[in-house]
Amino acid sequence: MQSLLLASALIGLGLYGALTRRDLIAVLASIEVMLGGAQLLLAAYAAVTAAPSIAQGVNLVVLAVGASEAAIGLALVVVLVRRGRRRTEDIEEVRG
Amino acid sequence: MSVTLLWWALAALTLTGAVSVLLSREMTRLLLALGAFLLGVAGLYAYYGFELLAVAEVFVYVGGVLVLFLFAITALGRDSSGRSIERRLDLGAAAVSAGLAAALALAMRVVLPATTAATGVTVEKTADALLGPLLPHFEAVGVLLLVALVAALAIVGGGEE
Repeated sequence: MQSLLLASALIGLGLYGALTRRDLIAVLASIEVMLGGAQLLLAAYAAVTAAPSIAQGVNLVVLAVGASEAAIGLALVVVLVRRGRRRTEDIEEVRG
Repeated sequence: MSVTLLWWALAALTLTGAVSVLLSREMTRLLLALGAFLLGVAGLYAYYGFELLAVAEVFVYVGGVLVLFLFAITALGRDSSGRSIERRLDLGAAAVSAGLAAALALAMRVVLPATTAATGVTVEKTADALLGPLLPHFEAVGVLLLVALVAALAIVGGGEE
């Protein structure tokens, strides 16, 4: 139960940071906290399953997906900051 | 297995790191807090019996993603306006976040009633899982990492034009 409460609290804290922080890098860091909470929940659940090795494999896959997300997110932040848009309120349009 | 003092220490490190990420006004402190958070998460993985996952977390996140954050901050420099990172209190966002956390805890309480450590998890069994039932996922992640790398280069390269 403690693991569940910890993971839920981390996801809640990360979501609050992602919603309220205005600096883009701080928003990205908050999303990492959220992802960490979700992975922790997955690991705690994996520990009580009948096949923890498979669950560990799934968690490794999620870890790689999180690393990809961080790489692309930081690339977007670098481009936006170079264009003078460092804060969330500076981003008003999305163009393909 | 009851929750030990080690679990509480790791949980405290993780929570302190997460709260500090939320409250830090200086970018360097934010990164240090994120590092503490990630180390705490890696420690908890090891506590649950997933040593390989803990090592991967340290290598990929603390050694990779955190350094990527550091490179980005170093390359971008400080905010030209000289302002520190703003933090604000938003009751709506707090209510949504607390509601989501509470809903998650309520929904999962049946399937995750106790904190316990896994037994019999070895690197060999994990490798068998990755190259057996999880092979499609493993291959897909390889492609995803390659696409992410190319996409990141294309985004940064396109932004320079």
